[in-house]
Amino acid sequence: MGKKTLEIYSVELSGTKDVEQTDKEDGKERYRGLKNCFHSKKDHHTEKLKKELDLDDHKLSIKELEKKYGTNIITGLSSTQAAELLAQNGPNALTPPKETPEIIKFLKQMVGGFSILLWIGAILCWIAYGIQYSMNKSSSLDDVYLGCVLALVVILTGIFAYYQEAKSTNIMSTFNKMIPQQAFVIRDSEKKTIPAEQLVVGDIVEIKGGDRVPADIRLLSAQGCKVDNSSLTGESEPQARSSEFTHDSLLETKNIAFYSTTCLEGTATGMVINTGDRTIIGQIASLASGVGNEKTPIAIEIEHFVHIVAGVAVSIGILFFIIAVSLKYQVLDAIIFLIGIIVANVPEGLLATVTVTLSLTAKRMAKKNCLVKNLEAVETLGSTSIICSDKTGTLTQNRMTVAHLWFDNQIFIADTSEDHSNQVFDQSSGTWASLSKIITLCNRAEFKPGQESVPIMKRIVVGDASETALLKFSEVILGDVMEIRKRNHKVAEIPFNSTNKFQLSIHKTDDPNDKRFLMVMKGAPERILEKCSTIMVNGQEQPLDKSTAEAFHTAYMELGGLGERVLGFCHLYLPADEFPETYTFDVDAINFPTSNLCFVGLLSMIDPPRSTVPDAVTKCRSAGIKVIMVTGDHPITAKAIAKSVGIISANSETVEDIAKRLHIAVEQVNKRDAKAAVVTGAELKDMSPEQLDELLTNYSEIVFARTSPQQKLIIVEGCQRQNAVVAVTGDGVNDSPALKKADIGIAMGIAGSDAAKNAADMVLLDDNFASIVTGVEEGRLIFDNLKKTIAYTLTKNIAELCPFLIYIIVGLPLPIGTITILFIDLGTDIIPSIALAYEKAESDIMNRKPRHKKKDRLVNEQLAIYSYLHIGLIQAVGGFVVYFTVYAQEGFKPNILINLRVEWEDSNVNDLEDSYGQQWTWYQRKYLEWTGYTAFFVGIMVQQIADLIIRKTRRNSIFQQGLFRNKVIWVGIASQIIIALILSYGLGSITALNFTMLRPQYWFVAVPYAILIWVYDEVRKLFIRLYPGSWWEKNMYY
Amino acid sequence: MAALQEKKSCSQRMEEFQRYCWNPDTGQMLGRTLSRWVWISLYYVAFYVVMTGIFALCIYTLMCTLDPYTPDYQDQLKSPGVTLRPDVYGEKGLDISYNVSDNRTWVDLVNTLHNFLAGYSPTSQEDNVNCTSEKYFFQDVFGAPNHTKFSCKFMADMLQNCSGLTDPNFGFAEGKPCFIIKMNRIVNFLPSNSTAPRADCTFLDQHKDDRPLQVEYYPPNGTFSLHYFPYYGKKAQPHYSNPLVAAKLLNVPRNTEVLIVCKILADYVTFDNPHDPYEGKVEFKLTIQQ
Repeated sequence: MGKKTLEIYSVELSGTKDVEQTDKEDGKERYRGLKNCFHSKKDHHTEKLKKELDLDDHKLSIKELEKKYGTNIITGLSSTQAAELLAQNGPNALTPPKETPEIIKFLKQMVGGFSILLWIGAILCWIAYGIQYSMNKSSSLDDVYLGCVLALVVILTGIFAYYQEAKSTNIMSTFNKMIPQQAFVIRDSEKKTIPAEQLVVGDIVEIKGGDRVPADIRLLSAQGCKVDNSSLTGESEPQARSSEFTHDSLLETKNIAFYSTTCLEGTATGMVINTGDRTIIGQIASLASGVGNEKTPIAIEIEHFVHIVAGVAVSIGILFFIIAVSLKYQVLDAIIFLIGIIVANVPEGLLATVTVTLSLTAKRMAKKNCLVKNLEAVETLGSTSIICSDKTGTLTQNRMTVAHLWFDNQIFIADTSEDHSNQVFDQSSGTWASLSKIITLCNRAEFKPGQESVPIMKRIVVGDASETALLKFSEVILGDVMEIRKRNHKVAEIPFNSTNKFQLSIHKTDDPNDKRFLMVMKGAPERILEKCSTIMVNGQEQPLDKSTAEAFHTAYMELGGLGERVLGFCHLYLPADEFPETYTFDVDAINFPTSNLCFVGLLSMIDPPRSTVPDAVTKCRSAGIKVIMVTGDHPITAKAIAKSVGIISANSETVEDIAKRLHIAVEQVNKRDAKAAVVTGAELKDMSPEQLDELLTNYSEIVFARTSPQQKLIIVEGCQRQNAVVAVTGDGVNDSPALKKADIGIAMGIAGSDAAKNAADMVLLDDNFASIVTGVEEGRLIFDNLKKTIAYTLTKNIAELCPFLIYIIVGLPLPIGTITILFIDLGTDIIPSIALAYEKAESDIMNRKPRHKKKDRLVNEQLAIYSYLHIGLIQAVGGFVVYFTVYAQEGFKPNILINLRVEWEDSNVNDLEDSYGQQWTWYQRKYLEWTGYTAFFVGIMVQQIADLIIRKTRRNSIFQQGLFRNKVIWVGIASQIIIALILSYGLGSITALNFTMLRPQYWFVAVPYAILIWVYDEVRKLFIRLYPGSWWEKNMYY
Repeated sequence: MAALQEKKSCSQRMEEFQRYCWNPDTGQMLGRTLSRWVWISLYYVAFYVVMTGIFALCIYTLMCTLDPYTPDYQDQLKSPGVTLRPDVYGEKGLDISYNVSDNRTWVDLVNTLHNFLAGYSPTSQEDNVNCTSEKYFFQDVFGAPNHTKFSCKFMADMLQNCSGLTDPNFGFAEGKPCFIIKMNRIVNFLPSNSTAPRADCTFLDQHKDDRPLQVEYYPPNGTFSLHYFPYYGKKAQPHYSNPLVAAKLLNVPRNTEVLIVCKILADYVTFDNPHDPYEGKVEFKLTIQQ
């Protein structure tokens, strides 16, 4: 036996890939329980260490334990022993997840994306200057300046990106919060309070109700001890703890209390068997950090985009380097051209813009209760195709609520909405009067005092979930329950326990004429019925005959079938002669009758779905997102909730449903007929990965019930094998591996444990499923808008690039300078490209399928081609028209400009003749050249306004979308114009910036081209709308 | 966030690429079938033809709006540039040095001047008219043949000792070299109100105790006669030649580098632009060795 368990609980030190391999080798093995897959990068493939956990502590006797840990349960460890062990094993604390050092993060920003290209550009600049300097000591410093500017651009955008990232990650909470502060320990035969961090294996500790368990503890003695293991297992029921060994499994045996769980009541003494990272929770935590954080879809898309742009930049650069050299340009000049081409091609500001856009959306989502920890996760949510959702708290309200009542042979429906306001069932019957009395009196739950102003449903109650439900239910209908209880003084009580399965109390009645005691009882319906001989119908007691018993059973089955927790209620007026007012009831001896009572009614409770959830599920469905429910609850309850929220739609059936309807065996049903499936954890355990894949592909509506948090990971992996982008919700510590594994892990803000929040990419502040759906909507919108932003930014690159190419080939004076290009990329274009993030969706984005992460790229061929070769080209032409206009009106007609480059740039030619025979000094020409830069710059800027407007939509006409709905766009346009005006007229006198004061009319030369761009794009969109699926759409829709 | 990235082997990538280049199942090359390629190419040809057309139209319209005789704006040409012959440039600007006793060091300089003055020979100036008025030669109508305007003659012999006619060595041989100063042409530019603009050469780094630079100017006083102005542009005055002033430097110290500046003194000629060293003046280094 020992060997088998060892294998199950063995810990593997291996990379995930090995785990996947073992999966294939022995698929079943994996599902047998908690198998910790440690991920250690160092030992990646080569070393596959198998390390045993100390598993048998729960089986050992106290003597054996003492021997094993060299301790004594009376005197505890000695201080010296403890100090030694502490030095050996380290403090009892979880190692926080390894963080990348800040400097590495910073450096990553400095070399990531386009930065490396710009660094190359800067270095080439300096090299070029070096060569120039070595040839001619007086060469101009222009190249050095340009190199510095490029380096500055990289550093500034790097700092900006780093700052944005740091801002978004500081939400991270750490594991440190989970560590209990103090521990009560026996050392050197003395009881001491020491910081929990100093606990060592073998310490004898005492815990009491309210404490957090300071380490993994083998209990030696316990008095009424109950622990809340929810942070570990997700089960919220308190669990009793004793010193007995009850189960082979370490996780289920009663004599172990786990680190970081809470002791709810009672006291216990125990021996520390594991500390720090070696505790169960420590292992899970490191398992979570071991599951690699892979790239988000948007990161992949951006990388793809960077590759495209860098590819274009480098290949055009090298191509023209070769052309320049073969055109007999000097290599030095060719290098300068290369730099110009790189600068023109790289959208320097774009990555910063993307970051800003994402963080704007993250802010918007935070307002809608989705706190995004990882900026890129904003978009991931939009591409989600499967949501694996918890039930409790996420889909449901996370409180038991009375849903149905059965009395007078009739089922009544109670209002389960969030505020309970509308209880419409018939309350006139005498039976209801009795039933309500039982509900009120046979209940130990109480409101915490001082909450009179709080709505009933929001008041805090001391008591368990069912009693709370009953208390609130009766408070809503009857009014002040506490007052009623006061009037019906309680004289005796037997609380609920699992052997009796009922709860009983005896009261004096508030009727002064009636001296009888009233005994009220509630409990498991079948047990209650056993104790009854009569039944109340319409306020009258009737003998309980077969037909009424039948009716009871039908009702019981029906309510149970709805997945509801059913309670039976009965009462008995104790005869006054036998039980006079002075009678003392003894609950231990039970000196009163507990049979032949009068059955009054049934009441069923459920944790009802949140009212917003069905809507959200429908939205998901129309958005092509599959919603899978994963819950630890009973399959019937799970199915009932799934049906009521629409995860299983009204007309779809499971295999079992079909079998029941057709009265045939489950095996005979054609599995293809069923759309829905309810799978229990036990069934999942026996499935091979292939079977799971089959299940996930064949059924559109799946509910996993009775699953353990570990199985969540298996489900997530199964979904990911379908190439789906998976969102997973979770709250327990044990959910954290699944949260990490998921493409987007969503932790619950209210119910979630710190570990879950830590592992997740997003935190739902209101625990509401509907918030996920709004998140999806935002995510999809941001993807569309990023597309628009990138298209906008890429367009002008051609207009910036063409001047260089023409300059090299045709030999015109340079139309636009490198610095000027930087002023477009980082000046005029920044605010407009951010403004596109505020654009509203074109159509209902929730009515289309999630994007296919391999096919629907952020930057696709169409986008690049349309931006570069259509709009970009028009912009280039427009820019050249402005350029030629300026030169021609100053005296240089286009024909004379061709091949003028060498003389034009020669500072020793000071009498260069223009078309009119005028002669120009070098500086006069240079100044004209800068005017040309400014003109070209203004030309691009004017056309970028048109570009900005057309990018508002991809399919609809601008007039359908509304020109003025997105006000930020106009802020963007205004900023463009103002920045350009400042550059030209404000800074026109600073020669280093190469701007000059441009004559006002030149600002309008490119306007016809701007109009042309708008018209051309409207025509494009018109044809796309007119001929969907046509050749035109395939080539022109991006 | 796994399963998003599948590592592909190199051969797989190659295979995919090959399939992209030629997909035998669908008959697609580079993602399109042949007919699709033809269509898309036709579209692009049409698109670019239209764009070229629009561009050509714009340039044509632009050319139509231009005045053939005068440029629309002369924003950069407020004041004419000045150039010097012979023009030998060093690391920073004009740098002329020669050895009096070694004629190989100055023969190129002399040749430059001869070549430059070839444009002022009687044959090249025969289309121009003789002017003696010393006043602005305004012409409102196109009185010259072929719908042009008259230009005044400037003959090399007006430079007398520096014309290369009397002294073919331009004084270089005796260490008193001639430098020819030329003012750039600007359409419709009037250098001053009534007095003729005048060239004036001095040492740039004049020390108090040094003797000032002695210069002999040709034409006398170093003036550019007003009848060469205004210039009506290449189309109106196809044979126009810039008036010149020659400066014969008489007392250049030997074996030291001197900085000399020649300014044009006129009402509308400025020489204080800090950015442009050739506006209204010309500076040069001169070293005469012996």
